[in-house]
Amino acid sequence: MRTFLDRIYLAAGWISAFTILAIAVLISAQIFLNFATRVFGLPLPSTIPSYADFSGFMLSAATFLAMPYTFRSGGHIKVSLVTARLPARARLVAEVIALLAAIALTVFAVYYIWVLVAESIHFGDVSNGTIPIPLWIPQTAMGIGMTLLCLSVIHSLIETLLRGEPVIAASEEA
Amino acid sequence: MSDPVVGLILLAVLFVFLAGGLWIALSLSAVAAVALAFFSNSSVGLNLAVTFWGHSHSWSLTALPLFILMGEILLRSRLSKDMFNGLAPWLGGLPGRLLHVNVLGCAIFAAVSGSSAATAATIGKMSIPELKSRGYPESLILGTLAGSATLGLLIPPSIILIVYGVATEQSIARLFVAGLIPGAMLVGLFSLYVAVRAWMDPNLIPVETTKLDIKEKLWEARGLIPVALLISGVIGAIYTGIASPTDAAALGVLLSIFLAVLSGSFTRGDFMDALLSAARTSCMIAFILLGAAFLAVSMGFTGLPRNLASWIGEMGLSPYVLLAVLTIFFIVLGLFLDGISVVVLTTSIIMPMVLAVGIDPIWFGIYLVLVVEMSQITPPVGFNLFVIQGLTGIDILRIAKAALPFFFLLLLAVVLITLFPGIVTYLPDAMSR
Repeated sequence: MRTFLDRIYLAAGWISAFTILAIAVLISAQIFLNFATRVFGLPLPSTIPSYADFSGFMLSAATFLAMPYTFRSGGHIKVSLVTARLPARARLVAEVIALLAAIALTVFAVYYIWVLVAESIHFGDVSNGTIPIPLWIPQTAMGIGMTLLCLSVIHSLIETLLRGEPVIAASEEA
Repeated sequence: MSDPVVGLILLAVLFVFLAGGLWIALSLSAVAAVALAFFSNSSVGLNLAVTFWGHSHSWSLTALPLFILMGEILLRSRLSKDMFNGLAPWLGGLPGRLLHVNVLGCAIFAAVSGSSAATAATIGKMSIPELKSRGYPESLILGTLAGSATLGLLIPPSIILIVYGVATEQSIARLFVAGLIPGAMLVGLFSLYVAVRAWMDPNLIPVETTKLDIKEKLWEARGLIPVALLISGVIGAIYTGIASPTDAAALGVLLSIFLAVLSGSFTRGDFMDALLSAARTSCMIAFILLGAAFLAVSMGFTGLPRNLASWIGEMGLSPYVLLAVLTIFFIVLGLFLDGISVVVLTTSIIMPMVLAVGIDPIWFGIYLVLVVEMSQITPPVGFNLFVIQGLTGIDILRIAKAALPFFFLLLLAVVLITLFPGIVTYLPDAMSR
């Protein structure tokens, strides 16, 4: 069960990673097209329609899908100045409280993000660009990412309670 | 309830969350939720969802993961290994000799990676053992490294300036360009300090015996030259307005892959590591930005920053007094918080106040980064200190003491840009458009 969930977080992390690479390729392709048509006059379309919209939506997806992996690997930073100086027992209590607060917040966020997705579907919201993209599609990526984050926080709380020590590694840089 | 009371309650709530070890992005969101729920009539959940969505897909923010990825790729290429040997032959003749490798190596690497801690780690890994074995004084090795690594925050493409630009809706291109002269000025100040120390005490610096001719020097530096070209290309394209920072970042990613593969020893494994690591870092930063955006929206509903701004405005405070107070405030804040959190907290609460006294937002961005740089080398929370402690095992207080002169040099830089704002504003004003 544990490895299964961690594999899902990691898979979402990889999707995020390749989405970032895809953004780089998409924008570069646009620049080359622009260059090829303007400078060399090649008979190509000079723009990829709505490429800025697509990049933005991919960025959003990349950000949210990386959430659970980043959380589990200690990538999200926090202030450990106070808690690191507590005795082990008190540190465990602080960690459990922090995880409970994180669960409350993420459950809340997940609920309202799916409400937003439902509204986008209901009102048929689309983006303003040349190609109207239904907003629920990129918003669904955000919903999935936040849901997985919420799951990974709950997962971490259970593990912390079972092991009796914090399971999230301390973040090492910012 | 009166504004000051509400403000103090929210500040207390924030500190409880942060000190309790709740993740920073979530702490910011939690305070925003408290502010909305108790001090406004607006819906907490809908504001959260709309803000998270609205701020997560902006075009300018797209530059963030791309520049991070570019840095991660170059970090794993031969560049970092070539840095010491490539620079050392050129700098051995200066007063202070190879200590300048720390300064200049950090400056170059800062341009590549945009992160202060990564700069300290990468340069330090090579330069600390090299310089120690040659007999350079420990305090200067550690001091130059800790100090110069903070350049990563200022020299473009800088991650923290993207964060500031996105959070305050300022042009990231202008911010990048504004950071150029102050960055060069800091490199100059740091090098000058090393030279003065060497000149005051000639026995401090060991003698260099190896001398290379110009051909050998160029050969040693062969790995650095393409990277230097890549960085100047990226900055040049942004400065001339040929490309937006996001465009330049996208091309930078592809070119850095190309360079890394050409230089050899860049494996598929390195590439995959770079990708996943970039996703992780950019997710962390973007999440903090989203939390801060939510906080800014909720602060807008409570009207606190606006009232604070008009209150400051009525006091008829001079910008200098406000800056002096803010500098002390930021240094204190920086003792406990990382740079990005200081920046986003500032932009969601203090920005209207800064604009109210007529401070230029581009200038303020550079000022803020300089102050944040200071916070990177002050204990108890200074990420450069942590990194160097990790590298050397030396006690953090001793490293902090070695870095103290560089703290004052940064402070001097803040004073200089305050007295001569043109240092910051000249280039962006001269930009095309």
